[in-house]
Order: sequence, then C-alpha cells, then structure tokens
Amino acid sequence: MYDLVRGPFVWVAFAIFIFGLIFQAFRFYALTKRKDQVFLNLTPSPQKVPPKGFIEGVANGLISLKRTVWGTHPRIMVVTAIFHFCLIVTPFFVLGHNILLDESWGFGLISLSEKTTDILTLIVFICTAFFLYRRIFLARVRAITSGYDYLILLITATPFLTGYFAYHQWFEYPTVINLHILAGEIMLATIPFTKLGHMLFFFFYRFLIGNEYSFSQGTRTW
Amino acid sequence: MMGNKMSDQQIKSINPGQIKEMLHKKKGIMKRLLSHCVHCSICAESCFLYIAHDQDPQYMPSYKVIHSLGKLYKKKGKVNREALEKMKGIVWRNCVLCGRCYCPIGVHVPTMIAFARSICRSQGVFPEMDGPTGESWL
Repeated sequence: MYDLVRGPFVWVAFAIFIFGLIFQAFRFYALTKRKDQVFLNLTPSPQKVPPKGFIEGVANGLISLKRTVWGTHPRIMVVTAIFHFCLIVTPFFVLGHNILLDESWGFGLISLSEKTTDILTLIVFICTAFFLYRRIFLARVRAITSGYDYLILLITATPFLTGYFAYHQWFEYPTVINLHILAGEIMLATIPFTKLGHMLFFFFYRFLIGNEYSFSQGTRTW
Repeated sequence: MMGNKMSDQQIKSINPGQIKEMLHKKKGIMKRLLSHCVHCSICAESCFLYIAHDQDPQYMPSYKVIHSLGKLYKKKGKVNREALEKMKGIVWRNCVLCGRCYCPIGVHVPTMIAFARSICRSQGVFPEMDGPTGESWL
C-alpha cells in the first residue's frame, strides 16, 4: 500500500491537479473573451490628498478597510485569512515533506520548526471547527449547506488531521501515514473540479470585476 | 387580452428537453459559477431584500441561486410546472437583479438569476403584474 500511495498515486494526483488547473485556465480564457462596455467617468474624481505621515496612512487604510467585507464580516474574514494562510504554508514548509523531497530529488524548501508546523496545524483545526460550527448552528449557513459542503470540509481537513496523528505517532503509524498521503492526494486531485477550485478562480474572477480588487480593468466577461 | 396571456401560461406544458438544451448551452459558464460558490453566506448583507425581510435566509443571493439555477442543473432540467412556479417567486420576487450583491470569491450572482429567469420565461412561467389575478410581489 505504501509503495502505491507514495509512487503512482502521487503522480496521478499531481497530474490531475496541474493539468486540471491548466485546463480550467484555458476554459476560463476561452469563455471570457467578450469585453464589457466601459462607461467613462466624465466628472474627474477629486485629487487624493496623500496622508501626512505613517499613522495617518495606517488610519486611512483601516478606515477604507472598514468599508469593505472586512468591515462587515470581520470575524469570518480574519478566520478565513488565517485558515488559508496556514493551509498553504504548512504543507510547503513542514520538515517531513522537505526530507522526502530531498530524498527523492535532492532538494528541499526551507523547513519551519516542527513546533511551528504543529501550531499551524492546530490553527487549521480551530478554523475548521469554526467553519463546521457555522455550518451546523447558523441558520443562514445551514440554509445553503448540503452533504457536499461537509465532504469538502472533510477533504480539506483530513490531510492535516492524519498528518498531526502521524507526527505524534498516534494510532498505528503505517496506516495513519498511508491515510495521510492518500488524503493529500485526494485533496490535490479534487481541487480543479470541485468547490476547492476557488483556489484558482478567486484570482481569475478579478478579471471580471470592474471595481475593488480587480485585475486589469476588470472588463472581461462571460 | 390579459386573460389570454394568463391562460397561455397555464396551458403551455413544460418541455424538459428545451430546458436541458438551454442549460447545456451555458453549462461551461454557469456550472463553474455554481461550483465556486463556497456557501459561506457572506453575500447575505449585500442584498437589501435580505435586510428588509428581517434577515430571512431565503433572501440571501447564494440561497436564491442554489434554489433556482442550482436546482435546474441538479435535476438536469427535469422539473415540473410546480417547481418552476416556485422558482418564479425566487428569481423575480426575491431578487430584483439590482446587481448589488457581493461575493468575496467573485461569483456573479445576477448572471445566474437572469439565466434562471430566461429558462422560466421559455416555459411560459413569469410574473404577470398587470394580469387579472393581480400577482402582487410585495
């Protein structure tokens, strides 16, 4: 089993992940060739006065942030930002992964201390618990929740849960490590074709939005 | 005249094949938009109808999309008149297509609601505010 999950399964998972993302990128490009009509702003906007000093700059930044989704939903935005940060950073800089990378290809990324990655993993658990709580107990989230949403949450959390168990040698190590690798592969393979695709489309959609956080003029359209 | 319009709606039978064809034509766009909604509910407060209706989840932009276009794709267009009539309320009464809804991912809700309206309309399901029954949307 170990040879299978560490051998061909890894390649299959990465192939689906990479080619799936490339496919999605091409499809997005092909589907959004149309351009939105841009309405010119005929009245010139008032000249912005540059902030006087650092404190005023920070204050201005915070005030403008208050008008965005960070101001309307500060709690969920902070949790989701921390969650996504830990979700991406941990697998890249965890020591175990870099040792494997070094053994296989002779190079590895910088590794964080084991204690740090342990804490980052715990943060992922706390954030997942927060999302789970919202799904179960908040009427507004429950109203749009199906079994699929729980499955996606499970797919996202399982690699971290099994990784945590493996590092602490809880339960039967060979089974746990196999499950950990398999869970990671499932997550990678599902990213391009499920809700997890927002990893890519979060950035793609910026080309379609003609206001805050847009890329280019945001005039591409479906 | 108005009476005829009403009876047209009632007698026209639903054509699931036509709905399926319409869904298929825009599958590339719509299924992607639907699948990238992470069901976070952050869009809720951006809808004035949600606020005006005492924060009833039925008025959340994501709810409206999931229970209209989402349902049509899930059922592959195989819906009956009753389902479309229910959908009519969602896509016309519960949404005015003002385009103010905000999604942190960037999913464009009005595109999907407008498409759901087109499908309903193709089957003769649409509100008749000037009809004899005087459908009131308020």
